[in-house]
Amino acid sequence: MSFSLAVLIPLFLVLFFNLPFYRISGKIAVFIASLFCIVQAFSFFLPVNATCPAVQNLVSYFMLDFQCDGISRLMLLTSAIVAFASILVLYAMEDSDRKQFNFVNLILLSLAGMNGLFFVRDIFSVYVFIEVIAATSYILIAINKDKNALEASFKYLVMSSVATVMMLSSIAILFLVAGGTDFVTVSNMYQQYGGNSLVTAAVVLFIVGLFIKGGVMPFHGWLPDSYLAAPAPVSVYLAGMVTKTTGIYTLIRLFYSVFGFNTAIQSILLIFASISIVLGAFAAINQNNFKRMLAYSSISQVGYIVLGFGAGTTFGVAAAIFHLFNHSVFKSLLFVNSAALEKQVNVSDMSEMGGLASKMPVTSTTSVIAFLSTAGIPPLSGFWSKLMIILALWTADLKVYAVIAILASILTMTYFLIMQKKVFFGRLKEGFENVKEAPLAITFVSILLCAITVVVGLLFPFVLNGLINSAVSF
Amino acid sequence: MSYDILLLLIVLVPVLLSTTLPAVAKFSVSIRNFAALLLMLVPMVFLCILLPEVISGNTVKYVFEFPLGINFILQADIFATFTALASVLVSTVILIYSFEYIKHYENQNEYYFIVVLFLGSMMGIIFSANLIFIYIFWEMTALASWRLIGFFREKEYVRRANKAFLLTAAGALFMLVGFLIIAETAGSFDLDIIANAGITGGIVDLAIIFILIGIFTKSATFPLHSWLADAGIAPSPVTALLHAAVLVKIGVYVYGRLFSFVIIPSDSLRTAILVVIAVSAFVSGGIAFVEKDIKRVIAFSTISQLAFIFLGFVSGGKVAFAGAMLFILIHGLAKAGLFLCAGIIEHKVHTKDLDKMGGLLKYMPFTAVAFACCALSVMGIPPFAGFFSKFLVIIGSVMDGNVFTGFAFIICAAFTVLYIVRLFTKIFLGEERGDFKLLPKEKVFSPMVFSVIILAVLSLGFGLFFGDIFTIANLAANQMITI
Repeated sequence: MSFSLAVLIPLFLVLFFNLPFYRISGKIAVFIASLFCIVQAFSFFLPVNATCPAVQNLVSYFMLDFQCDGISRLMLLTSAIVAFASILVLYAMEDSDRKQFNFVNLILLSLAGMNGLFFVRDIFSVYVFIEVIAATSYILIAINKDKNALEASFKYLVMSSVATVMMLSSIAILFLVAGGTDFVTVSNMYQQYGGNSLVTAAVVLFIVGLFIKGGVMPFHGWLPDSYLAAPAPVSVYLAGMVTKTTGIYTLIRLFYSVFGFNTAIQSILLIFASISIVLGAFAAINQNNFKRMLAYSSISQVGYIVLGFGAGTTFGVAAAIFHLFNHSVFKSLLFVNSAALEKQVNVSDMSEMGGLASKMPVTSTTSVIAFLSTAGIPPLSGFWSKLMIILALWTADLKVYAVIAILASILTMTYFLIMQKKVFFGRLKEGFENVKEAPLAITFVSILLCAITVVVGLLFPFVLNGLINSAVSF
Repeated sequence: MSYDILLLLIVLVPVLLSTTLPAVAKFSVSIRNFAALLLMLVPMVFLCILLPEVISGNTVKYVFEFPLGINFILQADIFATFTALASVLVSTVILIYSFEYIKHYENQNEYYFIVVLFLGSMMGIIFSANLIFIYIFWEMTALASWRLIGFFREKEYVRRANKAFLLTAAGALFMLVGFLIIAETAGSFDLDIIANAGITGGIVDLAIIFILIGIFTKSATFPLHSWLADAGIAPSPVTALLHAAVLVKIGVYVYGRLFSFVIIPSDSLRTAILVVIAVSAFVSGGIAFVEKDIKRVIAFSTISQLAFIFLGFVSGGKVAFAGAMLFILIHGLAKAGLFLCAGIIEHKVHTKDLDKMGGLLKYMPFTAVAFACCALSVMGIPPFAGFFSKFLVIIGSVMDGNVFTGFAFIICAAFTVLYIVRLFTKIFLGEERGDFKLLPKEKVFSPMVFSVIILAVLSLGFGLFFGDIFTIANLAANQMITI
């Protein structure tokens, strides 16, 4: 029962907020939602590997059994952290009470979908929850109703629908062959008919659908636009959680729990991942807009995650999950930094900024930490997960990919150094004399996320044993 | 306190406590400066306690088992302790110097924080006996140098800081590839196990080449040297710290640590390395002769001198090894002295252009004398310490059969004499090419002048008592090279 609470409480909260008899102010909604996030973060300490015959078996074919394993637990923690960050950013950035209220409702709905996604063990339910998240995301991106946002949201909608069609057809084929959609049935079927071309086609379709959702190159077209057009708190949530969950987490989950690995699928993953890493990084180098640069950096980092579990070993899965967690934390942090810049400086072109470190010390320092962690500089958290990915590839005898992963870090460093040089590191540009540090809510979130990055990095052995090893034992 | 805890503290105290310095500055700037000095003195005292123990032949080891075979192992033998002591000694003098030099500039909190962090990472590299941890601390020093080189925040400065960071960090990534190959061949990242495995073969040579890319970028060896001279725009204490005393020594130290005993490069590879360093020594010596910027001359001289240290470690014999090890200390002292003198001159004359100096001997006699002492040590003139280390390195390499290389390096040593004499003449002698009449009289007891005098005295002192430190170096060489 306890897992279904993670889905039911946000749903209940949304209902409760919207009952017709009274109005709840945005501030109270923000408060309650952030409280829920904190509670959810603590649910990390729930027992693992328990099954919970939840709600009801709606139709005998589609089992809505909830199961919690280490990966679900870790993802639950991650989504709590990111949602908390984005809610606080919202509180600092958005003045309109109504907008705060709407936003919190949507975030809670999306969280319900997400938490459900972490627990379900049925490919059709996976699809349902992905759609819940996607639907809320369309609205979240367009919440300000300006032209760019609507355009970006529409682009996302179109691309996402394509992905939906692919996934649905894939599910249909798998259902047809297996006679059921729960993980065990599909997995058994796959072991029997894995070589069948129709089944393989279904799996590939599913992968491509998830690639679109996760913004893996070359299916990334919608991603930079929507990150850019979305309001700051939404891009924190979108970049930190939504694409990673709907796309990458689901991918990992499917291969870890259902399909297992074979060399053909692995090579698809590895090749697309490498393309993402390298091209994403090159694209990021060329950007002049802070958020766009971060978006491409996101694409590149997602490549690392896919590369990690493309190694095809449980160690690789552990590395990928760890990198996903780290990436969610530091990429959210970077988007929080961009929110702080947006609020205090109100310029989005990096070339127009300069030397802001002296005016915004917290934002600048935390962005340096986040950047170093992304680039994999020790001893921060990103270094360890990247190292694990590299070791996983190396031990799986995929040395070429390991070398690509290592040397692509140079590109990561490059674009972040350019960003630091343009925005923070340097002389203060004229016109920025009166810039002040971001409001407390934002600096608090920055410091919190930064602390997670540093502490996870420094306490790596304990984190690995306690967190990752319990998620995926290797 | 047992020795292994002491060893752990030598690394952890500066690394962890450096983060408190910006907070301390909230109370008082002078307390922060004092605390920074303290964070350097604590490792120094601990090292001095450790030294007799390791000289007696014991190896102090601290082990903390990490998952995935990435064990946190610190190991202190004579070579490590000696090099660590040399780095701390030079860094401390540089820190004292910067109390005066840096006090008019912004971002002082960051400066002290990073300098102490840098020293801590250096200790980490020196004592780590696990490849991954060497890499970790290595990248931390790259990070520190990035912030330090960009200290003045001008656009051009930040660009050069980025260049230095990118080059050294990229080199380190190549090194990581090499480490992975080694670990796969030997089955572990721990140096002890790798040494016992006694790995050889083509794949190991490939790994060594990858590692050498990292080492050469860090120790600024031709053709990967270009960041070093560019980084000369940093404040003088920083250039002294990075270029002379500590950062560039990391590469040579790791070479000595890895390739003297743990992994033996094949003979053909060794010859190739000798050629590369000889070219590096010649090219940079030549450039030093034509450069017009005082700091760039000294920087290229560093590149040239680093080749001598490499020569000692590459040769493989005990005498050459001992010489190279002493070269790290002695060159660190003398070169730091030169950079710091350059800093004093720059502060007074407000230019780095050699063509705008001349005749400064009259106006800054103490600096001139200190500069001369350090210069003589770098040139290798007896009885200054530089002579002995250079002599040992060259004679050692000849004893190991590298006669031609030894000969080439003697010519290089002559080069050194030429460009340093030119440097000294241009700065201190000859006609005055600037308006120096209004320069204030030089005081001995300012931290800046005082620290260069200390460095000069040490350069001479180690020469006069060379026998004593050679005994230590000899013990270290015997410990490292057991063939």
